Amino acid sequence: MNTTNIYSEGELVAMLKQHQEPAFNYLYDHYSASLYSVILNIVPDKELANDVLQEVFLKIWRQIDTYDTTKGRLFTWMLNVARNASIDIVRSKNFQNSQQNRELTESVYEAGGSTEIDIDKIGLRKIVHKLKEDYKVLVELSYFQGYTQDEISKMLSIPLGTVKTRLRTALIQLKQVIKQ
Amino acid sequence: MDIQAYIHSGIIESYVLGLASTEEAIEVEKLRLQYPEIDKALEDFSVMLEKEAFENAIAPPADVKSKIIAAISEDERKTRIVPILPFKDADTNVSAPVRSLRVWRFAAAASILLFIVSTAFNIYLYNRYNEKNAAYIALLTDRNSLQANNQVYQTRMKEWESALSVLHDPKMAMIKLADVRGQKNLATVFWDRNNKDVYLVANVLPEVKTGKQYQLWALVKGKPVNAGMIDPACEGVCKMITTPQAEAFAITLENEGGSSTPTMKELCVMGKV
Repeated sequence: MNTTNIYSEGELVAMLKQHQEPAFNYLYDHYSASLYSVILNIVPDKELANDVLQEVFLKIWRQIDTYDTTKGRLFTWMLNVARNASIDIVRSKNFQNSQQNRELTESVYEAGGSTEIDIDKIGLRKIVHKLKEDYKVLVELSYFQGYTQDEISKMLSIPLGTVKTRLRTALIQLKQVIKQ
Repeated sequence: MDIQAYIHSGIIESYVLGLASTEEAIEVEKLRLQYPEIDKALEDFSVMLEKEAFENAIAPPADVKSKIIAAISEDERKTRIVPILPFKDADTNVSAPVRSLRVWRFAAAASILLFIVSTAFNIYLYNRYNEKNAAYIALLTDRNSLQANNQVYQTRMKEWESALSVLHDPKMAMIKLADVRGQKNLATVFWDRNNKDVYLVANVLPEVKTGKQYQLWALVKGKPVNAGMIDPACEGVCKMITTPQAEAFAITLENEGGSSTPTMKELCVMGKV
């Protein structure tokens, strides 16, 4: 989606804050695919990921006024909106139940044309998979599943300080991998 | 503060990926304003993530977009009360002030019209007031003159009442004074036999010229004695000079103020007791 920019980010944000629909059209065309891959990294079900994508763009549209340009890039803000919305869906009761049902049906119809995506093979998760196991689990739990460092410390029986430093190291390594 | 150590501590990545705690995030946001290196590190990692996401982009199904567009249109329709569209809808932007200007013009015209109507009405009312005031003053004058007339009549009536009481008194002797040439009774003398008071009713005597006045005489043993001047203002019964004795009464026309002896050629009326 490296289409030529017709708006600078500043122009785009200004127009979005004025609720101009053409700007939103452009925003969707420009960013939907990259955000969709972010969502699919967390929500493996395509149908559900479609719903999350819709929810994410509605949130962007409704909450654009809360985006502060001095606190970072537009995409970074949208990425966090997408990540949070995805985690909320995954951690909701409905999703947990549907996953259990799915596991049952899948055992019956082995490779039965599932809409499930191998999330380890796309996006950031693919990169995270290249990390050492100790680091991978921390990024998995915090970034993709949204657990707090305190929760992770309890889940893995590792001191909070260790979780913090190890996660930081993991993220630094993640950056190195992305750079390559 | 060791900026490089801070930059390489992993805090930059934590913050951009949304994994920093609230306190850490506040710290980063404060420091990025102070240290351009920190701001650059944040920007670099953000761009890196963004590039990565674009490279690994997966196009969503086409129908998702139409659903979202429909949803935001619905959203707009519901929430938009006052459209903020400085570039679009030039017509509404232009026509709104024109419409309000038109309203103001109409209001101004209406108030001017009201003012004119009100002024005209005030002038009309003022004129009416002046008319009525003049009529009222005329009525007041009429009333005053009527009252004055009323007093005149009252006085006259009192005079006639007293005259009537004189006439009805049985002690009164009535002497008719007749025209010396004809037999026409022109004046009447009432003479009280007890106290000798003399009253005169001279209402039918001819009018006198200015400077002249009637004078009543009593004939006592053939000689005329002054019995008083007839006051032209006296109407009805006039009190004259008390005369103890008289054979006849007569009236002559004299110069104003009277004479000591009667001018016989000016003798008007006479009557015997």
